[in-house]
Amino acid sequence: MTYSFDFSSISSGLDALRQGLAITFLIALCANAIGVVAGFGVGLLSQARSRLIRMLVSAFVEFFRCTPALVQVVWFFYCVPIIFNVFLTPVTMGILVISLNLTAFNAEAYRAGIQSVPREQHDAGIALGLSPFQRAIYIVLPHAFRSAYPVLVTNGISALQQTSLLSVVAIQELMYRGKELASDTYRPLEVFTTVGLLYLAVSVAVAQILRGVERRRALRYSV
Amino acid sequence: MKFNFLFLLGYIDPLLAGLELTLKLTVGASIAGIVLGFIASLLRTYGSAPVRALAAGYVELFRGTPLLVQLFWFFFCLPLLLHVDVGIVVASLTALSLYMGAITCETFRGSLALIRKEELDACVALGLGRMTRIVHVILPLTFVRAMPPLLSNIVSLFKESALVSALGMADLMFVGQNIANTSARPVEVLTTTALIYFVVAFPLTRCVGRIERKVLKRF
Repeated sequence: MTYSFDFSSISSGLDALRQGLAITFLIALCANAIGVVAGFGVGLLSQARSRLIRMLVSAFVEFFRCTPALVQVVWFFYCVPIIFNVFLTPVTMGILVISLNLTAFNAEAYRAGIQSVPREQHDAGIALGLSPFQRAIYIVLPHAFRSAYPVLVTNGISALQQTSLLSVVAIQELMYRGKELASDTYRPLEVFTTVGLLYLAVSVAVAQILRGVERRRALRYSV
Repeated sequence: MKFNFLFLLGYIDPLLAGLELTLKLTVGASIAGIVLGFIASLLRTYGSAPVRALAAGYVELFRGTPLLVQLFWFFFCLPLLLHVDVGIVVASLTALSLYMGAITCETFRGSLALIRKEELDACVALGLGRMTRIVHVILPLTFVRAMPPLLSNIVSLFKESALVSALGMADLMFVGQNIANTSARPVEVLTTTALIYFVVAFPLTRCVGRIERKVLKRF
C-alpha cells in the first residue's frame, strides 16, 4: 500500500458535507415520522373487514417491498409530475418516496403485533363503549408498537441509509455532496471513506440510543 | 397525457439482457456472500475475543453504511489502494458479496443461537473433530433453520443490485433508465422496469412464507 492519504485536501469541503448531512437528517427524520404513524394505519387497514381495502393495502405494501428502492426513487421523480401533474420540491419528493417505502415495511412490522391483540381486549373495548378509533389508539397501538419496536428501529436506520439513493436524482444530501467533492478534489478515497464513516457513525449512534430506550422500557415492564 | 406501452415491445431484448445481468450479479454475490456470512457467523459466535470483535466490526461496517457508498468506495478506491484496475464487474461483485456476507452473517447467527447445547455435547462425546463438527453437524442444522431468512436476504440483494446502475453497469435498472431517456417516455419504461423486478421478487417472497411454515413444522 503506497497510497499517501491526504485528508487535508478535503478539509475545504467539510462545510459541504455538513450541509449534506443536514439534508440527510431532515429527510430521514421526516420519513421516519411519517413511516411510523402511517405504517400503523396501513397495518390496521391490512386487517380491515372489507376485501377490497385489504387487496388495495396488500398491493401497496407488496409493490414497495418487491421493487428496488432505486426504481421507486427514479419512478417518483420522473413519473409523478407527468401522471399527476404535481410539482413538488426535490426534498419534499425525496421525503415522500422514502416515507412511502418505509410505511410499507413498517406496516409489515406492525401486522404481527396487531394480530396478537387478544380477542377479549377488543370485546372489553366494545363493552366500555370505545369507538373503533379509540380502540385502535388505546388498545391495539400499545401492543403493536411494543412488539414492532425493534423492527421499526431497523427499518428506520435502513431508511436513513436509503436517503443516499436520492443522490441519483440530484438531491444535495450527504452522498451527493460526497460525489461532488470527490470529483472536485480528485480525492475519492478520502472523500468516500469520510462519507462512509459519517453514515456509519450516525447509524451506530442512532441504533445504540434507540436500543437503549428499548432496554430501559423492557426493564420497566418486567418489574 | 396518453400512454403507449406497445413501443416497449421493440426493447424486450435489451431489457431481458439487463435482467440477465441483474440475475447473474444476484446469484454470484449470493453464493459468495452466503459462504462468507456463514464463516463470519462461526467466527462471531465461537471465535476468541479479538476474532469476535473483528467479525463484529466487519458486519457493523457493511450494515452501517449505505450499499451505494460501498459500491462507490470499491469502484473508485480499490484501484487507488491496490494499484490494479479492478474493473466495474469485479468492483460491483466484491461490494455486493461483502455486503451480502454481513447481512447473512446476522441471519446465520440467529440460527446458530438455536443450536442446543446437547447437540454440541453429543459431538464432543462422539469425538468428532472440529471440521467434521462444523460441516456435518452445525452446517446442516443452521442451514435448514436459516433457509427462509436467507431467501429473503437474496430477494433484497436482487433489489439492491439495482444500485450498480449508478456505477454504469448495464443491469436492468440501467437499461430501463437509458430507454426512458432516449424514448422520452419515462412513465411507460420505468413502470415496466419496476414490474419486471416485481414479477421476479414477488413469487420469491411468497416462497419464503411457504418454506417458513414448513421449517416451523419440523422444529
